[in-house]
Amino acid sequence: MTERHDSLILHFIVRVLMVPFIFLFGMYVLIHGEASPGGGFQAGAIVAAAIILGRLTLGHDHAGNRFPTRLLIWLSSIGVGIYLVAGIVPLFFGANYLDYSQLPVGWFNDVAQHHRTGRAMGIFIVEIGVFVAVLSTLVILYDYLTERSQEEDADGDAHD
Amino acid sequence: MTKLLTLVLVVGTVALFAYVSADLPDRADPHAPANEHLAGDFIELTEKEIEIPNVVSAILADFRSYDTLGETFVIFTAGIAVLLVLQRGYKRND
Repeated sequence: MTERHDSLILHFIVRVLMVPFIFLFGMYVLIHGEASPGGGFQAGAIVAAAIILGRLTLGHDHAGNRFPTRLLIWLSSIGVGIYLVAGIVPLFFGANYLDYSQLPVGWFNDVAQHHRTGRAMGIFIVEIGVFVAVLSTLVILYDYLTERSQEEDADGDAHD
Repeated sequence: MTKLLTLVLVVGTVALFAYVSADLPDRADPHAPANEHLAGDFIELTEKEIEIPNVVSAILADFRSYDTLGETFVIFTAGIAVLLVLQRGYKRND
């Protein structure tokens, strides 16, 4: 299902035009999630679409090198972990769980020459966590549903 | 007979919902019960305390952060479940 399609036009369109644009658009949706419609869920879905598009056209053997399934399994846990840690950190600054109002963002505002409240910063961190989790989970679903990951297991360290 | 019963049930349900929906407030009614309690606070506090323009993001990731945390866990769990169900080549150490 995810074998490589050798067509110059297809490769040009996908590798040069579509995938970079979709990645850029996903990043835009993530970073501007506070100012315009968007956020972690949407950006994750968009970038996952770009990765899956690469796997559909270039084949899993080629496109899978950049985002191997094993890495994505780690990433999905890391994304949820970012969210959990973003909730726990405020506890050390005297606030409640997931209450970002006391986060120390003064240094960031000094460096970036930009005024941003702790709660806005907390929202951004949380969005990044959601982004990573959604992106990797969607690609994991695709990989396992197309049963490509078992080949990875067969020639690798896999399971003992 | 079953078809007639189904028809009566469906038409009856639709008629009931149509009748009840006439009493619902308008979508943008500022005095609707749904808009009278927390919605105003969310809109005011987003500008005053969080200082970002997007109220939806503020509600999703700040005021209702627990909810979003749960949603993230749902997606994560879905990924783990698919991984466990469809994983092949797993050898047991008997």
